[in-house]
Amino acid sequence: MYLGISAYNHQSAAALINEEGELINYYREEQLSRIKGDNSFPKNSIKKLFATNSLKIDDIKNVIFYEKPLSAYLNPLKVAAKNLPESLNLISHQLKNFKKTSLFCFVDLAKLYPGLEQKLLYIDHHLSHTLSALAYAESFQNICSVVADGFGDRSTTSISFVNNPNDIRELWSNDYPFSLGLFYSAITDFLGFAINEGEYKVMGLAAFGKNDSNLYNKMNKLIFWDKNEKTIKMDLSYFEYHKNIYNSFSIKLEELFGSSRNPLEKLDINNNDFQRYANIAFAAQEVLTNILKELFIYAHQLTGCSKFLFSGGVALNSASLRSITSLSFVEKIYIPPSPGDSGAAIGAAYFGFIKNNKNNSFKRITNLYPIIFNSKSQYKKTIKIVSEKFQYLSKNMEESFLLASELIKEGETIGTLISNAETGPRALGNRSLICNGQNLEAVIKLNTVIKDRSPFRPTAPAMNESTAKKYFILDDALYNSYFSMTSTVVLKGNSPIKDYPIIHVDGTARLQIVEPNTTLDKLLLNLRKYDIEIIANSSLNISGDPTCYDLIDGLMVCELSPLKYLLTDNGLLKKLN
Amino acid sequence: MKKKESAANVLYETAFAEYGSALEMLAACKQAIKVREVLGFFEHARDEYIHTKKFLSILKKQGKNLSNIIARKYKFVHIGALKKGYVSEKGYLIETKKMKDFVAYIYTNELIAEDEFSKILKYFEDDKESTDTIHSIMKDELRHHGMARKYFLKYYPFIQPYQLMIYKYREYLHNKGRKFYFKNFQILEKLFTPIYFSISFLVSLPLRLLNQREFSRINKNLMDISSKSLL
Ligand SMILES: [Fe+2]
Ligand SMILES: [Fe+2]
Ligand SMILES: [Fe+2]
Repeated sequence: MYLGISAYNHQSAAALINEEGELINYYREEQLSRIKGDNSFPKNSIKKLFATNSLKIDDIKNVIFYEKPLSAYLNPLKVAAKNLPESLNLISHQLKNFKKTSLFCFVDLAKLYPGLEQKLLYIDHHLSHTLSALAYAESFQNICSVVADGFGDRSTTSISFVNNPNDIRELWSNDYPFSLGLFYSAITDFLGFAINEGEYKVMGLAAFGKNDSNLYNKMNKLIFWDKNEKTIKMDLSYFEYHKNIYNSFSIKLEELFGSSRNPLEKLDINNNDFQRYANIAFAAQEVLTNILKELFIYAHQLTGCSKFLFSGGVALNSASLRSITSLSFVEKIYIPPSPGDSGAAIGAAYFGFIKNNKNNSFKRITNLYPIIFNSKSQYKKTIKIVSEKFQYLSKNMEESFLLASELIKEGETIGTLISNAETGPRALGNRSLICNGQNLEAVIKLNTVIKDRSPFRPTAPAMNESTAKKYFILDDALYNSYFSMTSTVVLKGNSPIKDYPIIHVDGTARLQIVEPNTTLDKLLLNLRKYDIEIIANSSLNISGDPTCYDLIDGLMVCELSPLKYLLTDNGLLKKLN
Repeated sequence: MKKKESAANVLYETAFAEYGSALEMLAACKQAIKVREVLGFFEHARDEYIHTKKFLSILKKQGKNLSNIIARKYKFVHIGALKKGYVSEKGYLIETKKMKDFVAYIYTNELIAEDEFSKILKYFEDDKESTDTIHSIMKDELRHHGMARKYFLKYYPFIQPYQLMIYKYREYLHNKGRKFYFKNFQILEKLFTPIYFSISFLVSLPLRLLNQREFSRINKNLMDISSKSLL
């Protein structure tokens, strides 16, 4: 078995891959600790992997850490050292927090399971990302990997060529602090959202923006692709993330775009400044997309490839993908279900498998629900909570699904807490909040009442393959990502569903094609008789908290929100008044 | 303006404290075995989540009057609960304390919390809505305190009430100590800043000589780089 770990920077996670290269179990630390963005050493995840799979230390052949700790530590320090004296607070912060950096992985591992640290290997950060995408791809040879994130251990963007899983050559890289990810995070901060939490809100906000060439040009001065030098360049005078721990952008950015948004004020479509912020988000999104296009063009020039792996936190920017696939040479882009740092733990574990895989045969990971849990295991524990606050509408699963479908038809929202949870940030039906995607009122209720989030944020539609083909222009190059909700689609012209609430203002949607025999598939089958073919699907959590992991988390969402129904492995629950 | 900022600061920190206890109670709920305790901790966690939300909504109301630069300091980011030490990186209390000590901890801390909130009230003398909200939270805390007390009387009838007093004073001192430590820490931090900065300055001299290109891996097989090396 191979244990992959990501930790200390963004979301921590641990993944377990067996000798056959299968992802048999995986946990994101935030889901277990319940702290959004938990980036501490993933002790809960590792403990859970050991307990669930009855592992002993000897069962683990290697522990693979997702970055090179010393590079990750020294590179930002090196850049900060060039920016004295402004960067003194950053440098002293780095020095003081030495124990909380990945240099300490060895020690943390030894404390948790003595002996395990002896099996620790460190691999290049962007290699972890590449492998996390390769593990899900259909071909393992002659494919180009593009990685773009905030910062890992060396570079912020890179292109490599996968000759085969044992031969992955880096061909180009872009150094810190010039970073697409950090640029987007600084804009996120400017727009009043939390860094590492609010990037997808910027993407949602951008759909409301208007194209303003003046604004675009200004944005494109901050970050751009240098055609001659083939590199991403930035005017760093507008940013401070590389020299200051408190600020990601400088006062100059406010001189350029006007004041930043007060994060304590609610952003509403009716706000005076809403359009200005939306236009800024739009410009940032456009600039990011265009640089990514240049990057893919260059990747194609370097490798001749038409098939790509795309990973790193920037690959979470699903709205940019359609522009990339519009490039004539792009035949396929594979995006892993969790392209960010938490998913890199899977890539790290996969490294162990490749290195020890003697017969060189590879098959792709298809398991989209690797977070093992079953509500039955908490049936007894929650018996008192359930008896005081809920009632079972049915304990028979088939009947529960029928009843849930009926409730959906009537405009109700259902929470699902069924079996294992999804890999990535997108809920695919097992940890979801769902309602009739064709019912405007139901979707608005799901979004604003139950999820307590801004009405400008989109809710994704889930449907089966034939329905998706009927309504949307599906892109062959992105086809795989429709199953894990990692890209967006455009409606066919004059589509009868253009006014449905799951269609974004710009006519796009973050489509999920539902796989056979999954929770949503069963519900869609039942809903057919009511002429409902689209389910609105959002993750099961209260605004700001991590997606639910176990039954208690699900019951807590019911307790804290107006959500009335929870579909579990034990049956369908209804909240008492 | 100063008063407004310190009000924002108090609300911000209190929201984290409430969020921290919500997480602690949820963890306890998941660890508990007796179904009554599971329910008790579940409801306690729910209350603390609601308190967090209420303090954040008062903060939002206050924040409208703050300048952007100041308001940005009070952006609630969940991971702050760990960074600021409201929950320990070593794990939740239920994992490190015995159930008896854990309940004793709740017993005393709920009282301390209630006491702290009465101090917060002074910032909102002319804001009835906010004072009402804080009063309702204070009631909850007293209820939590009472529940913990009941638990004690039921399961450990032989050690009350003087032991509870001891617990109370121990936690009280602990809390005072924490604040004292924190204040001193802040002073020390200020005192040491020039030293830290000088060290940082000295460290940065050799760092500047590091050539970033030395980290370059162009045309190398990434699968073949020594996986034992930290670089
Ligand atoms: Fe990364
Ligand atoms: Fe509280
Ligand atoms: Fe409380």
